[in-house]
Amino acid sequence: MSPTAGVIVRFVALLGLMLTNGVVMIYMLRKVLGRLHIRYGPIHVGWHGTLQTVNDVLKLLTKEDITPSAVDRWLYRLAPALVFVPSLVAYAALPFSPDLAAVQLDTGLLFTFAVLSIVPIGILVAGWASSNKWSLLGGMRAAAQQIAYEVPLLLSVLPIVMIAGTASLGGIVAYQEGTFLGVVPHWFIFNPLGLASFAIFAVAALVELNQTPFDMSEADSELVAGFATEYSAMKFGLLFLSEFSNQFVLSALGVTLFFGGWMLPWISAEAVSSVPGLPVAVFMLKAYAGIAVMMWIRGTFPRVRIDQLMQLGWKRLIPAALALVLVAGVIHKAVL
Amino acid sequence: MWGAGLVNGLRITLRNLRRGPIAVKYPYEKLELPERARWAVRPKYFEDGSPKCTACMTCVRTCPDHILSLDVETREDKTKHIDRFGYEIGACMMCGLCVEVCPFDAIRMSHEYELAVTDVSGLDEALLEDVDAASAQRHRAASDGTKDPESDD
Amino acid sequence: MTDPTEDVAGVGLLAEGLHDPGPAPAGIRRAPSGVDGLTTEHLIINMGPQHPSTHGVLRMLIEVDGEEVVAAEASIGYLHRGIEKLAEHRRYNAVGTLMDRGDYMSGIHGEMAIALAVEQLMEIEVPRKANWIRSLTSELNRLANHLVWYGTFGLDTGAMGQFLYSMRDREALLDILEAISGQRMMFNYVRPGGVVADLPAGIDAKIRAFLETFDTYLDEHDALLGGNEIFQGRVKGIGVIDAGKALAFGITGPNLRASGADYDVRKAKPYAAFAELEFDVPVGTVGDAWDRYQVRMCEMRQAARMVRQCIEGMPEGEHIAKVPKVLRPPAGEVYACVESSRGETGIHLVSRGEDTPYRMHYRAPSLFVLQALEDILPGHLLADVVMIIGSTDVMMGEIDR
Repeated sequence: MSPTAGVIVRFVALLGLMLTNGVVMIYMLRKVLGRLHIRYGPIHVGWHGTLQTVNDVLKLLTKEDITPSAVDRWLYRLAPALVFVPSLVAYAALPFSPDLAAVQLDTGLLFTFAVLSIVPIGILVAGWASSNKWSLLGGMRAAAQQIAYEVPLLLSVLPIVMIAGTASLGGIVAYQEGTFLGVVPHWFIFNPLGLASFAIFAVAALVELNQTPFDMSEADSELVAGFATEYSAMKFGLLFLSEFSNQFVLSALGVTLFFGGWMLPWISAEAVSSVPGLPVAVFMLKAYAGIAVMMWIRGTFPRVRIDQLMQLGWKRLIPAALALVLVAGVIHKAVL
Repeated sequence: MWGAGLVNGLRITLRNLRRGPIAVKYPYEKLELPERARWAVRPKYFEDGSPKCTACMTCVRTCPDHILSLDVETREDKTKHIDRFGYEIGACMMCGLCVEVCPFDAIRMSHEYELAVTDVSGLDEALLEDVDAASAQRHRAASDGTKDPESDD
Repeated sequence: MTDPTEDVAGVGLLAEGLHDPGPAPAGIRRAPSGVDGLTTEHLIINMGPQHPSTHGVLRMLIEVDGEEVVAAEASIGYLHRGIEKLAEHRRYNAVGTLMDRGDYMSGIHGEMAIALAVEQLMEIEVPRKANWIRSLTSELNRLANHLVWYGTFGLDTGAMGQFLYSMRDREALLDILEAISGQRMMFNYVRPGGVVADLPAGIDAKIRAFLETFDTYLDEHDALLGGNEIFQGRVKGIGVIDAGKALAFGITGPNLRASGADYDVRKAKPYAAFAELEFDVPVGTVGDAWDRYQVRMCEMRQAARMVRQCIEGMPEGEHIAKVPKVLRPPAGEVYACVESSRGETGIHLVSRGEDTPYRMHYRAPSLFVLQALEDILPGHLLADVVMIIGSTDVMMGEIDR
C-alpha cells in the first residue's frame, strides 16, 4: 500500500491501542486496588463492572469544560496536547512481534525515551498555566522529579545496549533468544548486569510515571490533583489517559529490555512467531503483569517526600547507574 | 536490611487480597441491626390498634431540640383527642431521650433508617393524627390485668 | 462601627507581610536571590478548609519559600456550632448529646466528662458495675478513635490500603458499641449516675471474638505502616516538640507523652474503674511524629488489654445510681477531666441550682496542639505539614465546638 496509507493505518491502530489500553487499565486499576483494599471495585455497570470505564469516558466527554478566567489561555489549552501527543508517539517503536512494530527504528530505545521526555514539559506547562498555587507546586515538583530521573533511566539501559550491540528494540528482543547452558533463558533479567540495571530502571520508571510511591506532583492528599486540579472534562481525560498510556509504554519497554519481549522461555523464536497472534498476546500479557505489579505497589506504599526523592536520584541512583555503565563497559570489552 | 519492611508490606497487602472483600453490597444485602439500635421514633399501639399515647407532653418537654409537638383537644369529659403529634424527623438526632422518659411506653425507637425523602415537606412527619389519646386508667388496667401486648409494625 | 470583613484581610500572615526567612534547616540549601537580576518571592498558600488532609475544616495559611514553610497560621471557626451556648439551654441528661458532637470520635469520653462534673457537684456515688462499663466503653472508643487516626495518617502519606484495613477493624468495634448503646457514633450512653442501660446479653462473646483477631490485625497494621521504610523516612525527626514547650503550651494526651512527660489523667486522677485496671502508659523520648505514632500504637495495645480485663472482671450490680429524673445540681462550680483519645478533655461547669447549666466550658485538648503547630511548622517542607497535622491527631469538632 502507499506510504501515506501505511502511516495512517499505523496511526489509527496505535491510537486504537492507546484508547483500548486506557479503558482496560482504568478498569483494572479500580478492580485491583479495590480487591487489595478488601472491597469490590466497580460491580454494577456491565458484567462485574466491565462497562464502568465506558461510562466514565462518556461522562468525561459530556462534562462541561470549565476554563477558569485567570489562566494563561494558550498554555492552558496546549498543556494536555503536550502531554498526550508524546504518549501516543512513544508507541511507535515498541516491538509487539518480530514483524509488527509501527516503525522499525535502529535507535528505537533512544527515540522512545526522547519522546517521553516531552511529557514533563507538558506537566510543567499545565501547572503553570492553571493560575493556582497548588497546581504550580505540582508542576514544579514534576519538573524537578521527572526531568531529573531521565538521567538514571537512560543510563541504566546503557549496559543493555552495550551487551546487545544495538539500540533497536527489535534487535534487543532478538538478542534475548536462546538459553544459557540450556537452563536459564537469555533474558537480561537473568544476567547479573541486567538485574542491576533492572533495579535502577524499575525505580526510575516509577518516578517517570508519577506512580506511588513517587507521585508527588499529583499527591492526592496534599495537592488534591496537583497539576491537573484546574482541568475538567476531556482535557482532564487527556491528561489522565496519557498517564495510563505512559504506564503501559514503560512497562512494555521494561518487558522488551529485560523479559524477552514477545518471546517465551525455552521455546525458539520461530516457533513463537509461527503461531499467528501469539507473540502479540505474550507481549501484552507480560506488559500487563508489569502493570499489575505497579498497581500492587501503588496500593501499598506511602509517598516519598520531594527532597528525599531528589536525594535518592542525584546522590544514589545516578552514581550507581554511572558505576554500572563503567562496570558493564569493562566487562563487555574484557570478556566479550 | 533496608527494604525488608517494604517487602513485608507487599506481603501483607497480598494476604488481605486473599482474605476477600468485607463490603456489604447495600442495598442488595443489608446488615441486621442490634436490638438497641436507635433510629426513627414510632408510636406503639394496643392490641386493638389504638395508640398508647396519653398526650402527657413529657416527651415534648424532654426533647433537647424541640422536635416533637402535640396538638391536643381536651373534651368536656376530660378525654383527650390528638389532632396532630408532630415529629420533625429531618431534625431528629435519635438520642432516644423521649423514649426513655415516656411514662406509658407509648413510643419506641424503630429500626427504620432509610428515611430519605425527595420533598422537603416529608421531613416533618406526623406520628399520630386525628386519634383519641389513651387514658391513664386504661394503662393502669392493662398493667393490673392480663398484659396487653402492643402491636408493633 | 467598623466593617468586620475589612479587618480579616489585615490580620495575621496576610497583614504581616512576607517574613524574613530564618536560618535554613539542616539539609536544605536556599537559592540565593538576586542572582542574574531575578528575585524570589514567598508564596502564601491557603491550605483551605476543604482539603483532603486537614482532618476537618481547618484552614492553614502557610507562607512558603519554594517548598519550605517560613510561617504558618491556623484559622479556625469553620465548624463552630455553639456547643457551649447550647449547653446552657439543655438539661443535664441532654448535655451528653452535645458532648458527643464536640469530639465526635471519642463520644464516650466527652459524655463521661460532663457526667463526672455533675456527679461531683451532686455528690452522687456511681455503682461499681457502672464504673466498669464506663471503662470498657471508654477503651473501646479509644481503640476506634486511634484506628481512624491510623488510617487517615496512612492516607495522608498516600498509602490507601491502611485506611480500609483499619476501617475493617473499626466496623467490628462500632458493631459492639451499637449493640451496647444503640448508635455507632453518637452514643448518648454515659449519664450522670452511671450508664443508661446494662450490657446486653451476648456482648462478651462479641468482644472476645473481636479481641481474638485484633492483636494479629494490629501487628499487621504496625508492620504495614510503621515497618515501611518510606514511611519511617517521612515521619522520623519532624515536628519535634520538646517536653518543656509541650507543657508550656498546655498540650496533653499522647502528644505530651510522646514528648517525654508522663502525665495521664487515668493514672494521675483516676476515675471510673481505672484505679483497679492494670495498664501501662507509653512515654516517648524525642517528641517527633514517629514517637507520636509509636505512643498511639502502644496505647491501642494497652486499650485492648484493658478491654479484656473489663470483660473478664465485670462485677455484678446496678448500672446507674438512684438519680432524680430531672437533675438539679446545687449551686457551685467544678472542673472534671477525663483522658480522652486526644488528651485531657475537661468540663468546667458552673451551676446556679437550676436544671440547666449556667455556664459550661469545654476544654478541648486539640486546641492547644493547634496553637503549638504555628510554632513548630516553620522550617519544615510542605509535605511535612500534612504529616505533622496528622501525627498530632487534631479534631476540628472539638476545637471549634
